[in-house]
Amino acid sequence: MKQYVTLTIDGAQVRAAKGASVLDAAIEYGICIPHLCHVPNLSDIGACRICIVEQISNGRSKVTTSCTLNVQEGMAIISNSEKIKKLRRNIAELLVAQAPNSKAIQDVAVRCGVKEVRYPFRNSDCVLCGRCVRVCTEMWKARAIGFVGRGKDRHVDFPLGKREDFCKHCGSCTMLCPMTITPCKGPMRPGEEYLCGKCEAQLMITENRPDSCVWCELGKGFQCARYSQ
Amino acid sequence: MTKLNTANDLEALRKQIQAQRQSIRTTLTLCGGTGCQASQCSDVIAAVKDALIKNGLEKSVTVRASGCHGFCEQGPLMVIEPGNVFYCHIKPEDAQDIVSKTVMSGVVIERLLYVDPVSGKTIQTEADIPFYQAQDRQLLSQNRLVDPCSIEDYLSVGGYAALAKTLFQMTSGRVIDEIKTSGLRGRGGGGFPTGRKWADCMEAPGDEKYVICNADEGDPGAYMDRSVLEGNPHLVLEGMMIGAFAIGAAQGYIYVRKEYPLAVEHAKIAVQQAREYGLLGENILGSQFSFDVEIARGGGAFVCGESTALMASLEGKVGEPRPKDVHTVEEGLWYKPTTLNNVETWANVPFIIKNGAAWFAAKGTKNSKGTKILALTGRIKNTGLVEVAMGTSLRTIVYGIGGGATNGKAIKAVQTGGPSGGCLPVSKFDLPVDFDALYDAGSMVGSGGMVVMDESTCMVDVAKYFLQFLQDESCGKCVPCRLGVDRMLELITGITDGRGKPEHIGLLQELADTVRETSLCGLGKTAPNPVLSTLRYFPEEYAAHINQKRCPAGVCKPLITYAIDAEKCKGCGLCLSACPLGAIKGEKKQAHVIDPQLCSKCGICADECKTQAVTVN
Repeated sequence: MKQYVTLTIDGAQVRAAKGASVLDAAIEYGICIPHLCHVPNLSDIGACRICIVEQISNGRSKVTTSCTLNVQEGMAIISNSEKIKKLRRNIAELLVAQAPNSKAIQDVAVRCGVKEVRYPFRNSDCVLCGRCVRVCTEMWKARAIGFVGRGKDRHVDFPLGKREDFCKHCGSCTMLCPMTITPCKGPMRPGEEYLCGKCEAQLMITENRPDSCVWCELGKGFQCARYSQ
Repeated sequence: MTKLNTANDLEALRKQIQAQRQSIRTTLTLCGGTGCQASQCSDVIAAVKDALIKNGLEKSVTVRASGCHGFCEQGPLMVIEPGNVFYCHIKPEDAQDIVSKTVMSGVVIERLLYVDPVSGKTIQTEADIPFYQAQDRQLLSQNRLVDPCSIEDYLSVGGYAALAKTLFQMTSGRVIDEIKTSGLRGRGGGGFPTGRKWADCMEAPGDEKYVICNADEGDPGAYMDRSVLEGNPHLVLEGMMIGAFAIGAAQGYIYVRKEYPLAVEHAKIAVQQAREYGLLGENILGSQFSFDVEIARGGGAFVCGESTALMASLEGKVGEPRPKDVHTVEEGLWYKPTTLNNVETWANVPFIIKNGAAWFAAKGTKNSKGTKILALTGRIKNTGLVEVAMGTSLRTIVYGIGGGATNGKAIKAVQTGGPSGGCLPVSKFDLPVDFDALYDAGSMVGSGGMVVMDESTCMVDVAKYFLQFLQDESCGKCVPCRLGVDRMLELITGITDGRGKPEHIGLLQELADTVRETSLCGLGKTAPNPVLSTLRYFPEEYAAHINQKRCPAGVCKPLITYAIDAEKCKGCGLCLSACPLGAIKGEKKQAHVIDPQLCSKCGICADECKTQAVTVN
């Protein structure tokens, strides 16, 4: 029999299966914690850090990613404090400056409240979220791509840089990549470092009712877990 | 070698070794640590041995190549007992003199003695040297008495007595209580209470448990763990055995970086010797406790010093940290409960068991007990490895042990805790070496690196240096550490290149806070410390770089120009011939000038000038 635990997320009582992550529990209840590297049914590595929440225990708050945090009885989680919102905005700003042409990342950035980007754009496209690597390794057990290099040299590549036969051209990696969603008309160019606001318009509703999922369009954009279920 | 089957066997062996050694009167202890090896101490050791053989003294005089004594700057060094005579900067050709004069007739050779740079006096004995006097040597005290490749040496100074005490007089609960009462905290940087870690690991469900010794010391300029593992590997092994007994582990690993070949070799020899004596293996000393240790070598990644990355590396995976929402004491190596401690932490354990928790807790401050080894480097007179009681003030360390600044310049700051630590200004020098006090001041004790900086150091440049190091060493897994550190470096490079804007300070601060709060592992969480502490204590230097486009210390090349003071210049031509670019022009006996178009700001002319005529603006 499945065992359940009760926890509170932003004050709301939530019942979740033992072993589930806080992020999954929140999404189940329609509490939208923005996330990027999380893909349903794949392991969570906590790489993008967008889904950070505050875990309150013994009166002390600890910032951690909700995708890697497992639910526990009596746990208290805050996902939308001012502190978390600010940290999340800063991380999203770093991401969008790295890959300004990704529609998914633009959407995440808008969702996290990024209004302007204070860093020069880099157009390096890949943000190393690892969605492709994990789907290849875990779902298809192919291990045709992986991370290569360390630190600023880290990138996704085939083993020894050569496509091997064990890549079956299934295309899962491409499908999950935040870069492959058709960008909107106004991708940002160097010198025009602002977000166009078209996506922002969709968020009018969420601003009035913060943190409740409204099945927003941008959820489709970055493959929100609700759409893929 | 016979296997020791009971605790009495061990004591009998110890008595036998001590009795054998009573007949030997004279001991020459030469430091064989890495620092002294770099100054050719192996040649000196060979020469001394030759000289003894020539004089027929090889039987009555012991030559011991010991571990690091700490005063590496003066190496190769030698201590002669009896008499405690201290010789430094020894060359192979001095060997004959040492044997014929000091060993045979007791005459002290004046030219090999240490000269105190502060008072200018010649000092004869090791005990009188101010560098050693101000220290409180516990862990390092045995380094001088023990040949790291000899288990007999370690037994003769009371080695493995704490293990026997643990196995036959204590329960695992007692051991953990003892460590808890002692107040020992992790020496690797985090300062987590060791007793609590052990208790959590003991209580964690699971039959298979592991202990790991973290010897992947990567901080620039730090070599505490290296000296302990190289100089006294059995001490670390004994600590690990006691820890394994307490938590119920049967297998231990020493993870040591491959850049420490001597430490790897000595640890291997120590494990081999301990196995031969039956101190590792099945039913140690006839008890129910079985334990073995393997040596694993790291591949050169700084991040593998982080516990979860280290475990991933041990498992044969890529050395990347993983989220610690489930602690390693519950799910560590191969998802089994694992206790990981630093070399220095393990080395403290036998002393605590042998002398009792109260002995250990008598030293130190309220929440930081015992002693700490620090690697003291930078612009001071005496550099080296120092061990002080917790709570000693930074001032005592920098001025008392370090002897103050070289070249008569004023000391500006001290950087504690390696790349993850912070820079503390002179006004904070009364702070004690204490985990909490330094943390509150925006720095940390860390693993114990301590770099002293004087007024010719630019603090913005220091922050830039550490960010560069951390950017290279970040694993790149999580966004705040990979991109955040990269962007901080971009901003700070802009500031040192004269492209900084006033709003960059606020952005830097905000970004640093974000990286600290949200990074995945300890590396990222502490990476902004150099930036945050320099912003906190030296805001005027940032302001000078940004507002006036000026580097007060004259370090940041795009912001400085070299010029020759025509009044001071004697026209000697030294700078002219030294300049690699031919940027200096001038006639003999007349003031020279620097062509700013050609000058690459290398600073060679300033070093060459005898009259200090070259000025930096």
